[in-house]
Amino acid sequence: MAMKKIKFVLNGETCEWEVKPWRTLLEMLREDFQLTGTKEGCGEGECGSCTVIMGGKTVNSCLVPAVEADGQEILTIEGLAHGENLHPVQEAFVEKAGMQCGFCTPGMIMSAKALLDENPEPSENEIREGIAGNFCRCTGYTKIFESIQAAAEAMKGGK
Amino acid sequence: MVTFYRRLPKMGYVKPGSLEEALELLEKNPNGRYRVYAGGTDVIPKLKGRVIQSPEILVDLKGVSDLDHIDFDEQKGLYIGALATVRSVETSPVIKERYPILSQAAGSIASIQVRNRGTITGNICNAVPSADSAPALLCLDARVLLYSKNGGERTVDITDFFKGPGLTVLQPNEILREINISASPENSRSVYIKLSPRSRMDLAVVGVGVLLTKTNGTFRNVRIGLGAVAPTPIRALKAEAMLEGSEVNDDLIINAARTASEESRPIDDHRASAEYRKMMVEVLVKRAIHQCL
Amino acid sequence: MEEYSVIGKRIPRVDGRVKVTGEARYAADYSMPGMLWCKMLRSPYPHARIVSIDTSRAEKLPGVKGVLTGKDFNGWTWGWMPKTRDEPPLAVDKVRYLAEAVAAVAAIDEDTAEEATELIKVEYEELPGVFDPEEAMKEGAPRVHDYVKNNLSWDFHMDFGDVDKGFGEADLVREDRFETGRVITGYLEPPAAVALWDSGGITIWAAKQSPYFVYRHLAACFNLPLNKVRIIQPFIGAGFGGTKNDSLAGDFCSVLFSKRTGRPVKFVYNMHEVLMTCRRRHNMIIHNKMGMKKDGIITAMQSKVIADGGAYTAIGPLTMYLTGSISTLPYKLPHFRHDAYRIFTNNPIGAAMRGHGVTHTRFAAEIQMEMMAEELGIDPIEVRLKNAITAPYETINKVTVHTCGLKEGLKTLSENPKWKKRSGGSPPEGPLSHGVGISGTAYLGGARQRGHQSCGAVVRLCEDGTIDYLTGATDCGQGSDTVLVQIVAEELGLGVEDVDIKRVDTAVTPCDAGSYGSRVTVLAGGAARNAARDVKRQLAEVAARNWEVDPGDIIFKDQRVYVKGEPEKAMPFRKLAQVACYAGSGAVIIGRGYSQYGIEELDFDKGIGNAGTSYSFTSQLTEVDVDLETGFVKCTDMVIAHDCGRPLNPINVEAQNQGGAIQGMGQAMYERFAMDLGKTLNANLADYKMPLSTDVPNIELIDIITDDPNGPYGAKEASEGSTVSSPPSVVSAIHDATGIWFKEQPVTPEKIVMALKKKRE
Ligand SMILES: Cc1cc2nc3c(=O)[nH]c(=O)nc-3n(C[C@H](O)[C@H](O)[C@H](O)COP(=O)(O)OP(=O)(O)OC[C@H]3O[C@@H](n4cnc5c(N)ncnc54)[C@H](O)[C@@H]3O)c2cc1C
Ligand code: FES
Ligand code: FES
Repeated sequence: MAMKKIKFVLNGETCEWEVKPWRTLLEMLREDFQLTGTKEGCGEGECGSCTVIMGGKTVNSCLVPAVEADGQEILTIEGLAHGENLHPVQEAFVEKAGMQCGFCTPGMIMSAKALLDENPEPSENEIREGIAGNFCRCTGYTKIFESIQAAAEAMKGGK
Repeated sequence: MVTFYRRLPKMGYVKPGSLEEALELLEKNPNGRYRVYAGGTDVIPKLKGRVIQSPEILVDLKGVSDLDHIDFDEQKGLYIGALATVRSVETSPVIKERYPILSQAAGSIASIQVRNRGTITGNICNAVPSADSAPALLCLDARVLLYSKNGGERTVDITDFFKGPGLTVLQPNEILREINISASPENSRSVYIKLSPRSRMDLAVVGVGVLLTKTNGTFRNVRIGLGAVAPTPIRALKAEAMLEGSEVNDDLIINAARTASEESRPIDDHRASAEYRKMMVEVLVKRAIHQCL
Repeated sequence: MEEYSVIGKRIPRVDGRVKVTGEARYAADYSMPGMLWCKMLRSPYPHARIVSIDTSRAEKLPGVKGVLTGKDFNGWTWGWMPKTRDEPPLAVDKVRYLAEAVAAVAAIDEDTAEEATELIKVEYEELPGVFDPEEAMKEGAPRVHDYVKNNLSWDFHMDFGDVDKGFGEADLVREDRFETGRVITGYLEPPAAVALWDSGGITIWAAKQSPYFVYRHLAACFNLPLNKVRIIQPFIGAGFGGTKNDSLAGDFCSVLFSKRTGRPVKFVYNMHEVLMTCRRRHNMIIHNKMGMKKDGIITAMQSKVIADGGAYTAIGPLTMYLTGSISTLPYKLPHFRHDAYRIFTNNPIGAAMRGHGVTHTRFAAEIQMEMMAEELGIDPIEVRLKNAITAPYETINKVTVHTCGLKEGLKTLSENPKWKKRSGGSPPEGPLSHGVGISGTAYLGGARQRGHQSCGAVVRLCEDGTIDYLTGATDCGQGSDTVLVQIVAEELGLGVEDVDIKRVDTAVTPCDAGSYGSRVTVLAGGAARNAARDVKRQLAEVAARNWEVDPGDIIFKDQRVYVKGEPEKAMPFRKLAQVACYAGSGAVIIGRGYSQYGIEELDFDKGIGNAGTSYSFTSQLTEVDVDLETGFVKCTDMVIAHDCGRPLNPINVEAQNQGGAIQGMGQAMYERFAMDLGKTLNANLADYKMPLSTDVPNIELIDIITDDPNGPYGAKEASEGSTVSSPPSVVSAIHDATGIWFKEQPVTPEKIVMALKKKRE
């Protein structure tokens, strides 16, 4: 079966690539591009650890055929920081201990970023809803809520 | 043998640029050689788990332009294109205002990530008894427009669409093009209640949709849609009939709720017992009716 | 109290930055050139004889580099103790649980490996299975292991005082049957590893919570000396006991494949595989009998525990030991008898999980105590305060408690306005009924098992004054790396940024027993402190010589070194490091330390003595809203008063209490494996329901500081405590809302509705 040629923007850089049609976006990112920050927990849409932003929206990259990246803009956890400068959401997760084992963290941060892009001043309930697709076993979520609130605060004024 | 697969089966991929092109492929479709998909949130996990037969070629409908529309017209009502995502239906201002039951049902599905990809059309074509959009669409008397090659076209009432768990009237050569819902009756009120142990990322143990109009103290246009309590999503027709045209009163509501529960035919499974599901139909139908008053 | 500069401070995690950028590498993130993929073929039957295995077709598939079956391991088996080595890497003549691994394939990519497993032909002769431990104990039940009569995997008996006398003195005696659930640890990262066998022996990058377990297993399995087995510790996507504490079929097979092919070999399990086959918390049936005086004083307790052990022994003996030996905390028991039976069944294996062993029997005892208090008209907090121990205390089975903040915690909760909101049986408004519940529990910290129990630490001074700190203790995500770094920094008067922790690499880090039983902060923390002090001593000698003062007068603080009372005799730490390293020949400064605890009597067979170094105490208040029509429970608030001795890093302690409490809440409200004839019916994360962001309550935390003499800087354990306190507290709250005592976990909406219906009838 023929490889598919695709062209897309990955963390701000244009990429041309060939993929097998049965590869998922998650596999392509992790195995072909060595972007292993995006994690695979369940492989079937239930845990959110593979969350990336595609075309401005969060998706479970384990459920997206890699060929569909064609023509899209894709942002992964590796694309958030600018050099040494962490994204405010990342900064807040460090400061407020929004992670323990860290396995859910990349996906969680992508969901949090998408939430804040859409809703810069979310209530606690909106935060809960915004990350309901991201399972975390370690934290019990409280410190994640606090991290996202702190990030929202820090991002006020269009940082 | 048991293998826990992490990878998709080997298969090809095409992305037709038009509906005609897609229909053309389906016309020569022996043994499910081609399988269409929209968001893939049902198909991809099933393929990974080897739950369904792998097609030779996956047909991505997202190349078809003008299929992700949500259009509203006072006369013709609402049109939801086959590629409109669950999230876009959930957040559409016109759906929120005119068809809140549908927006609620859409919002109750899975997670934002899944709703960003999945479609309402995929939800009903997948046809699990617990599909959350189904009770809402049943209450809204939705019609689905099915297309096949050479201008083949038919409209099916949503009540006739589901045939069994995972089964619909869709033929292998057909594609569901859009869902149409009439402008809902003036002053109608509607609600979808999903009962699941966790409040998110959970499948309905029971899903109940109710739509009705209260005119001069009587029930009108009553619709009760039930999910996860029969081999397909169903309407509780007897309960609807009890209410239709009758004066609003509590005893009647209790009786209608009980009747709806009797109409349900749930099974025991690891999510809940049939008995519990029946009891919950009664509780939730009653609640939903009250919320619509 | 001494003023610390790093200890006790809200210091962000040392691994925070790499975790938020995606840089932190977990086992599945490793890959190497020429790497093969390993995939398991598993059994479709829970109990069957393997008649034959034909691997020829799989071997011929292009890309396949090898196939293994049980015979390739030459009869080697492993287990937690010498007499329980009953588990083979791959099943040999019999499979004992559904989806037990029977063969493995290595291939050039994972697709090919998966495809090849389908080509292996295994002929089975299905055997009658046994799935219920009470059935399995009966005469004539099918045997899971041919040589084990009545499927008795392990039993354990404790008898202290005279329970009959105690019950005789009681005004009220109750007997109840409780059942905890089949629960998964729930780590998000599926087990994975990359193994390489070369002339240096085995190197494996594996997701292991206690890598030194696997280190010994691999050495034994492949008959290698320990210095030829190297486990390199990636970041761990959480453990919580069980599977990641142990070895897996995938570990053994990828190592053997690498030996045969000379290529690195990788495996990654998937989540279905984890939920179907991996180790889980034992399901336990607990028959509990308690005697109480009219005034609420407990006179005696007797428990009979029957645990579903599943197909193999694993760590089960310790589980059973813990169900009893810690039952004597935190309430005074003058007479206590405990009979525990672990039973083999054809279910997946029961093993350790956070709150190990203790959560089961504590749940039973807590609920029963409260039921009896209710019968006697005594307030739930009152009955606890009446029976709670106060430190110092020695239990009837010689568990010694030096500090105990239970009473203080309970009193704090009794004054909380939320406690005043208890319904105490008042009728609900509408379908929603509000309830408040309580619990007061204990857990051990610094667990001690049999065999090697020490922790070691090496602190190496670099000539620029920075520190390399080597530990054998694994941080599986709960934050121990940060605390250990804080300890080293504190001792040397440095900042956490000056200390770099080297994660476990068994080739260089000192041996450590493992990250279980809340032992890292208490024991590895002690080792870290001692190693840092060793460096400090050596540096102080150099400084003392330099200034001609007594080494005892040298102070290390704020990255500086100075002489007590003579501030002009001072220099930066970095300068002293340089002086010390360059002074004379051979001046290499390395500090070493190991954990120390009093070696006391510990009789594993009789349940006498200290299984822990110290004991934490948790008092928990929980508020719920119960929808009486649907049974839906919303847990809205928790208040947790926790005595962890002293929080060395308050953020971490809060985080542990929150995470542990939510895990316990999941167990109490949602989580259970639905089983049918050995098959797990809900092996996915939608149907196996762990709490999500929308399900969790607000959590208020209160530290009860007790400064334990046996922990570094007064610290005891934090995190397993709230996993134990949560279930009884939640169930107590549901009782307050519904008037019904639920004795089986989880308390699902359906159970609530059915119980309410029964009560009405
Ligand atoms: C983790 C997770 C949680 C979920 N939770 C829920 C939930 O809570 N409630 C719920 O109802 N669902 C749930 N789902 C199921 C799924 O997300 C929905 O059914 C979704 O709406 C499907 O849409 P899709 O576009 O992704 O479907 P696809 O997977 O693309 O397609 C589904 C089926 O429809 C067919 N199909 C799609 N489009 C057409 C068309 N235009 N014409 C003909 N046939 C077509 C496909 O061939 C396929 O058989 C969940 C799924 C996941 C992965
Ligand atoms: S790995 Fe994609 S949602 Fe779990
Ligand atoms: S931090 Fe471990 S799963 Fe979230």
